Amino acid sequence: MYAVEEKNDVFTEELKLNLGPQHPSTHGVLRVELKMDGEIITASRCDIGYLHRCAEKIGENVTYLQFTPYTDRMDYLASMNNNLAWSLAVEKLIDVEAPERAQWIRVIVAELNRIASHLIAFGTYGIDIGANTPFFYAFRERESIMALLERPSGARMLYNYIRPGGVGHDVDDQWLADVLAFCDEFERRWKEYNTLLTNSHIFIKRTANIGVIPKDVALAYGCTGPVLRGSGVKWDLRRDVPYLKPYDELEFDVPVGEGTHGSLGDCWDRYWVRMREMMESIRIIRQACPRVPDGPFMDKKTSGMYKTPLKPKPGEAYVRCENPRGELGFYVVSEGGTSPIRCRTRAPSFCNLAVLDVLLPGTMIADGVAIIGSLDIVLGEVDR
Amino acid sequence: MNEQELHGKLSGAGVAGLGELDTTGPDPFVVVEGSGIRPVLSFLRDDPTCRMEMLHLVTGIEREDRIEVAYHVSSLEHHHSLTLKVVFPRPEAGGHDDWRPGVPSVADIYPAADWHEREQWDLLGIEFEGHPDMRRILLPDEWIGHPLRKDYSYPSEHGGIPLELDAVPMYERGPDWEREEKVRKAKKEERKAGTPLRQPPAPGSDRPHAGGQAPASSKGQRHVIEPHSGDDDDGKSGAH
Repeated sequence: MYAVEEKNDVFTEELKLNLGPQHPSTHGVLRVELKMDGEIITASRCDIGYLHRCAEKIGENVTYLQFTPYTDRMDYLASMNNNLAWSLAVEKLIDVEAPERAQWIRVIVAELNRIASHLIAFGTYGIDIGANTPFFYAFRERESIMALLERPSGARMLYNYIRPGGVGHDVDDQWLADVLAFCDEFERRWKEYNTLLTNSHIFIKRTANIGVIPKDVALAYGCTGPVLRGSGVKWDLRRDVPYLKPYDELEFDVPVGEGTHGSLGDCWDRYWVRMREMMESIRIIRQACPRVPDGPFMDKKTSGMYKTPLKPKPGEAYVRCENPRGELGFYVVSEGGTSPIRCRTRAPSFCNLAVLDVLLPGTMIADGVAIIGSLDIVLGEVDR
Repeated sequence: MNEQELHGKLSGAGVAGLGELDTTGPDPFVVVEGSGIRPVLSFLRDDPTCRMEMLHLVTGIEREDRIEVAYHVSSLEHHHSLTLKVVFPRPEAGGHDDWRPGVPSVADIYPAADWHEREQWDLLGIEFEGHPDMRRILLPDEWIGHPLRKDYSYPSEHGGIPLELDAVPMYERGPDWEREEKVRKAKKEERKAGTPLRQPPAPGSDRPHAGGQAPASSKGQRHVIEPHSGDDDDGKSGAH
């Protein structure tokens, strides 16, 4: 028999592991420093800033209107919603309200963009877990949405369509009819997603009871959007603090996590909140399309600002909007000049990501990937 | 409750360091002394009629005569929100890039403040006293200065990489028409003199179009690809 010689240099120790910044499951350039005990994470530290473009500094050097395209580049998967929040902040500063037609168009395009953004969350989450197929299904429908949004805005991803005072271009009746046709098609497709991923036994095993965020932790860390609602808090700005008039008149539910397959606030709950939100957005679009009134799509007072730069009175405005990822806030401070002196962004992904350092310790490394995916971050917005 | 009532509630409770309510702008805010921010935020969070569960934002604002730190808090239960501000007047002497106003950290009251305060330190150089883990968050650890300051001077290099910034950016300067005209004329004359602009590729050369002009090369010799000389503008589009 072989005698095993005892060796003194064989030992176990804590392993430091760098997850990212170039890693497919970090959804961009996120770096997480992990301390590992075997397969179990004992400590984690997020390192962000790899995509820092100093958008806030740029905001202080360009005019109010010129900053709108920069907001596209923050959360590049939900550009319409970013444009909307920025436009509302500027409108609050200059005390202008968009015409009614513009408001209804804004609701439709913002909800379409919300579906497109959640489709990415759904597709990439499948890839994180190891299911490659749903991604292609998700991108098929996202393609239809991008084709729809391209028609009024001229762009497929970074729209610069919603502008202070209204929207950039008008939509026609054919477009509205096509949007409604898309809604019918999407409803059928959505059922396919559930057979593909939602009710998959493996998927549930990988996500239920993983990454549980209790309600109080979510609130303390300022989590918003599906992350907060996944923990069972019924809070949606569209319902609770309507920032556009039509949201007051439309009927829709706010899906919250229920702990269907495990504890309340786990990865599966956050995922399921996003899936149901897509259907609520379809419901909103269905109601909104026939109700788009006739009239101007751009406020007359603000149309002058396209020739001479806008100069709001000294003051400050903070506006929050319900983005696909949570509450996006713009805090704009004016001193009467053509550009703001401070242009602060409350990025939902930034706040949602802060909770990651609390969630990771104690979990397996493979679950860590599931947790990062369930937060659905966009690094363009985290770093700005 | 609106901001007026919230301010009344705060002053009624006798929280130390509370200032006046400012309603001049579109969004009203309450001014708080630097030392009072912690008791005020604790009160707002714990009082059952205020119940500000969520801290949205910590923002530093640099103005000509002062630096402000703004806190946005809101309540999910009561659907109200409030802005608080700590103001630091700029000192007569030394109120420049190296001036670091300090405010107590609220990261233990609202864990959400942790990253926001780190960001404000990183970009604006506001010190948050008692912060559990004060490091730069967006910029590299070895970065010097705080870029959101108005008098921030851009570094000439970072980690050995030169960061030469044009005094006037290219998009404002526009194309140099005089130079373009000179280049166009020179090319025209060259053509008149009969020199071909582009030499035909050498027979047997495996990369005939590499670098525009590939010198004739014999077997066994290394290819020497000359850098692209000037642009290939043949004068047709010179008029712009």
